[in-house]
Amino acid sequence: MTLMRTLLCSVYRSGFTLLLGLLLGTAALSAHHSFAAQYDADKPITLSGTVVRIEWTNPHFHFYVDVKDDKGAVTEWAFEGYPPNMLVRQGWKKDVSLKPGMAVTVQGWRARVEPHLIAAREVTFADGSKLTAGPPAGTGGQ
Amino acid sequence: MKTHHAAWMAIAIAVVSLSGAPSAQNTTKAKPAPRAANGKPDLSGIWIATGALRLMAGEAEVAAARQSDIDEGRPAPRTEPPPYKPEAEKQRQYYLDRRGIDDPMARCLISGVPRISFRPLPFQIIQMPDQAVFLYETHHAFRVIPTDGRPHPEDVEPSYLGDSVARWDGDTLVVDVTNFNTKTWLIGVGTVHSESLRVTERYTRDSYNTIRYQVTMDDPEVFTKPWNAEEIFRLRPGERIREYECIENNEDLQRIEKLLQNESVFKRPSN
Repeated sequence: MTLMRTLLCSVYRSGFTLLLGLLLGTAALSAHHSFAAQYDADKPITLSGTVVRIEWTNPHFHFYVDVKDDKGAVTEWAFEGYPPNMLVRQGWKKDVSLKPGMAVTVQGWRARVEPHLIAAREVTFADGSKLTAGPPAGTGGQ
Repeated sequence: MKTHHAAWMAIAIAVVSLSGAPSAQNTTKAKPAPRAANGKPDLSGIWIATGALRLMAGEAEVAAARQSDIDEGRPAPRTEPPPYKPEAEKQRQYYLDRRGIDDPMARCLISGVPRISFRPLPFQIIQMPDQAVFLYETHHAFRVIPTDGRPHPEDVEPSYLGDSVARWDGDTLVVDVTNFNTKTWLIGVGTVHSESLRVTERYTRDSYNTIRYQVTMDDPEVFTKPWNAEEIFRLRPGERIREYECIENNEDLQRIEKLLQNESVFKRPSN
């Protein structure tokens, strides 16, 4: 690598870091609202259960999953993710990818107030396949 | 004599390399920008900013795009910190402390300029001889921008996207945007402005695949000097603008109301 190229890389990375810092700090990754006000990036969670219903709506889709705890008690958890336009770009198909009765494992982050609400990041299906369901944890405002 | 000549050539090449001038050894030649029938660069296409590339294609493609920038000698986009006056900076910090809960976008209000350019969804430019149409998937917003150098109309009133007129400066389309309302943030959380805001956008298609976007936000009421930001828009072949509807099931409104009843839940801890 020549000196010129090294310098260019270095300048590029510093600019990138500055921009990334600015944009991450401004919740640019959230689809339409501030992630950080509603969700806590320090509270990642992974849950498994059975899909109850799906709201394929804007500006975010929601789906609900019955999750059984150690004692056998079932709680319905709500998951929020991308709008349909972004889901389709991630490979989702309405009424096909996710259906009531399906067994899923969902990774995401817990809400600050609602005890059973999660910002969904990734859904793993029974056959092991995965689909991205929402943006990475933003740190809006921080 | 021949050896002498070769030595001088070697020194000359080394000096050129050290001086930072791009050389054929270091950079790959980028495919040139297409031109419209009138000779101007054609900005037409579907474009995405870095945030959109990250969400739509993932980190690997972001890294590949950045590597192609380096290979083709394209400087990294740089964004300055906002040069706010103390009072406006206090306002921005207030919104940052509240972690963006007051974001006009969370209430489905249209993003202004330039924020809409940085959103993580694609936009399309359709360039015609005397005007360019910008179609944003974000908010399903559009701008119809005269490019013949005409002045702003007189019957405008303050609006979210402001009023845009443009002219060509060589191969760069320069868009002058004025007549903004104060209901938008400029780029990120809490980036407030006044009705005196004037935005100058510069669109340069510096290769077939990229537009260099340079934007200056001038607002003497809130800034000590104009604020400069940059981005690289990347061509996204095969992509299309899809529907974006915001209000249909915006549960944020109820959730935000709940959160606002107890600020300590979401506010940043004070130092």
